[in-house]
Amino acid sequence: MLAARRATTARATTRRRAVVAALVPAVLVLASCSNDTSVASGAPQDGGTLVYATGDAEPSCLDPHVGGNYPQALLTTQVLEPLVGRDADGEILPWLAVSWNVSDDALTWDFTLADDVTFTDGTPFDAEAVKVNVAHLQDPATGSSTGYLALAKVTGVEVVDATHARFHLSEPDSALLESLSQQWTAIESPTGIARGTDANCQAPVGTGPFVVESWTPQQQVDLVRNDGYTTVAPEAKHAGVAYLDRIVWRFIPDAATRYAALQSGEVQVIDNPQPDAIAAARAGGDITDVDAPRPGSVNRIELNSGQAPFDDIRVREAFVRAADVDPGIETLYAGTVARSYSPLSSSEPLATSDDSLFGTDADAANALLDAAGWTGRDGDGYRTKDGQRLTLRFPVSTNQSVAAEQSLFEQIQANARGVGFEVIITPLDLSGWYGALAANEYEIVSAPYTKVGPDVLRILYHSSGITPAPSGYFANHAKIADPDLDDVLDRAAATTDQTERAELYAQAQQTVLDGFYILPLYDQQNHFLVRGATGTRTLHTVSTPTFLDTRLAF
Amino acid sequence: MSIFRWAAGRLGAAALVAWVVTTVVFFALRAAGGDPTEAILGGPGSQAGEDAVAQARSDYGLDRPLIVQYLVQMRRILTFQLGDSYARKQPVAELIGAQLGSTMLLAVCALALAWVIALSVATLATRAQGVLGRVVSGLVQAGEVTATVMPHFWLGAVLILVFSSTLGWFPATSVGASPAGLVLPVVTLAIPTAGFLGQVMRDGLDEAAASPFATTARARGASESRILWRHSLRHAALPAISLSGWSFGSLLSGAVVVESLFGRPGLGRLLLDATSTRDVPVVVGSVLVVALTYTVVTTMADGVERLVDPRPRGADRATDRTLRAEAAIV
Repeated sequence: MLAARRATTARATTRRRAVVAALVPAVLVLASCSNDTSVASGAPQDGGTLVYATGDAEPSCLDPHVGGNYPQALLTTQVLEPLVGRDADGEILPWLAVSWNVSDDALTWDFTLADDVTFTDGTPFDAEAVKVNVAHLQDPATGSSTGYLALAKVTGVEVVDATHARFHLSEPDSALLESLSQQWTAIESPTGIARGTDANCQAPVGTGPFVVESWTPQQQVDLVRNDGYTTVAPEAKHAGVAYLDRIVWRFIPDAATRYAALQSGEVQVIDNPQPDAIAAARAGGDITDVDAPRPGSVNRIELNSGQAPFDDIRVREAFVRAADVDPGIETLYAGTVARSYSPLSSSEPLATSDDSLFGTDADAANALLDAAGWTGRDGDGYRTKDGQRLTLRFPVSTNQSVAAEQSLFEQIQANARGVGFEVIITPLDLSGWYGALAANEYEIVSAPYTKVGPDVLRILYHSSGITPAPSGYFANHAKIADPDLDDVLDRAAATTDQTERAELYAQAQQTVLDGFYILPLYDQQNHFLVRGATGTRTLHTVSTPTFLDTRLAF
Repeated sequence: MSIFRWAAGRLGAAALVAWVVTTVVFFALRAAGGDPTEAILGGPGSQAGEDAVAQARSDYGLDRPLIVQYLVQMRRILTFQLGDSYARKQPVAELIGAQLGSTMLLAVCALALAWVIALSVATLATRAQGVLGRVVSGLVQAGEVTATVMPHFWLGAVLILVFSSTLGWFPATSVGASPAGLVLPVVTLAIPTAGFLGQVMRDGLDEAAASPFATTARARGASESRILWRHSLRHAALPAISLSGWSFGSLLSGAVVVESLFGRPGLGRLLLDATSTRDVPVVVGSVLVVALTYTVVTTMADGVERLVDPRPRGADRATDRTLRAEAAIV
């Protein structure tokens, strides 16, 4: 029945293409005198295969419990579901957990679970499954990083009964629900987990609208619809199973190629488009731009305050005043991004902005550097102090910084030179870049960090974030060691009072901005271009697209 | 030189290449910064806990001194084992095996197409006479030089823009052996090689056409096309054949770019991904396979050259070239 319908569709498509080809000249003439843009698109239809082309790195393991990165979150949003969701206002929404209660001492959380949900391998979803998942994330053998950190304060899960799971915490955690809304702590089938890491990496089993059918490395992951889908997903536009029959998830690293494939109809959705493609989509036509900034931090330049010359706030402010990023952002991104003046993403309701600190002023920058004692000049025109040149090492990750951003950094380099800074940009691959950071060989760096909720501030700016993880990684690249800030962040993480939490995080953000530890640039760009499909929306948790409501429309 | 000594020499050279390549790659990768442990723990930037890191290091022997890790790697290669991928936890041989076919198909098709283009263009240029001939010859020469220096990524991007985005004739992305999908990647890889082979062949043809054996044949009343097809081409093909082995190496390295550009799976992309995460066994294994393939292909080119060469075995080829060739033909 399904196969028959697909075959008919294919024939109809071929016929339609022939007709369209014949009509193109006529349509062009008509289009020029009419505003009707629906000429090329048909009505949305059920079934069919959507092809998604991703430019993010191919995961080495599809299970987001292992490691825990964005490419895993993108794919497994179709397959795995977390306990809770979040809406645009930051309100936590029921998902696999339908309600929850926190004890007065904030150390015990009781979750009531949906009772009619089954994993796609037939295993029932229950409190035991939640317990197994938390244990899986906390087991060193799993090698979890993101999910492991998110659950750092969870000491264990108690199975009260099949539909009630009790989380025990070592200390209060105001970010627990936000942590549990992330794809990296999504719930997997205990039977699936019991197969071992290898099998689970190939095809994690969840409760989501699609199922991993097969994975052909470097090529694609094939997903098929979960015909037993019963979850009530937050913000879903319809109840029950997905409209699409299948999703083909292709790995196409080159941005121009992905865009060409979208234009020629080989794929219906692409991620990581280039600014000119976004601008063209916004100008009209049959391509839609879905703009979903990632949660957590903005893209910002962090100034290493742990060593000279940026241990002096005057030098930090001088750099910020001289960088003059606005013209570059406007032209390099073709007018598609907005300047940020906050440490937090605009998708975080608790983000605080202060544009008064970031005006460009070369004279002020020169005066600050003079006052800080960088008064000498060497043969190349750079400032010096005690015979030392005012040099800033800037390792740049070519995996994370797109071409436009790398060009922006070169403009900053030129602008900073105007007041006597020497900026040395070193492009590095991902592994080499983390190596340079671990070796403390940088004065400035741009390192995006994705996490749901304002607790990302604690990870990035608490002094405990200076101590490296065993792998050498540390998140506090600005090396802020401010006991008052630590205290504010600790209290924000512990309070269960939402108003107090908002005030404390606002205070923390102001401290980070006032100290010129960072130069905010813009939201972590996360665009999806869609052509020939309707109903694609992104989650307000990790900003990944879900294809539950998507229908093909060509 | 006997065939056995020739083969033994080739084998020894292959072993030496394998050892040098493996050693250089192993140490270069470790000197490039970054920690291979992170490849095991889900990729660079891992914040895995202390226990997880310690377990990963001991599971894969990364807690041992670098020189010991190197010796372990060499022992594995000597016993024809490539080990397991840090990132994928699968045998490296399996990962390479799954991708080798796609890359070889691409490289072999590209080499074949390069030969067809080079031969057609070179004979066309040689056969055109008079003013038209000079114009054609000049154009061909300019075309060959341009083709030779064209970077793959630029050429591929232009082909995608024209034939995929604008005309819609061929898909921008493809997998496996789908003929329509192979067209653009193969053409992208073939054009620079064709330019290079064409130059070599045209020089050979010009030289052959002016050589005494051609004059002799003309004196006997042979037509220009007979001279070209029966005699000159064979003469001109020799350097092109031996250079094809070398070209194959550049096609394999070009595959790294072309596979990423056209979104095709293959050895090139495997190598690129593994390098950026410091997945040492995969990088060492892939480079080893590419190096050995290159050795095999150059050996084959050498063998074919010996077959095609019209001059008798053992003759002093360098000094006696034209006389011998003439004798063989007349």
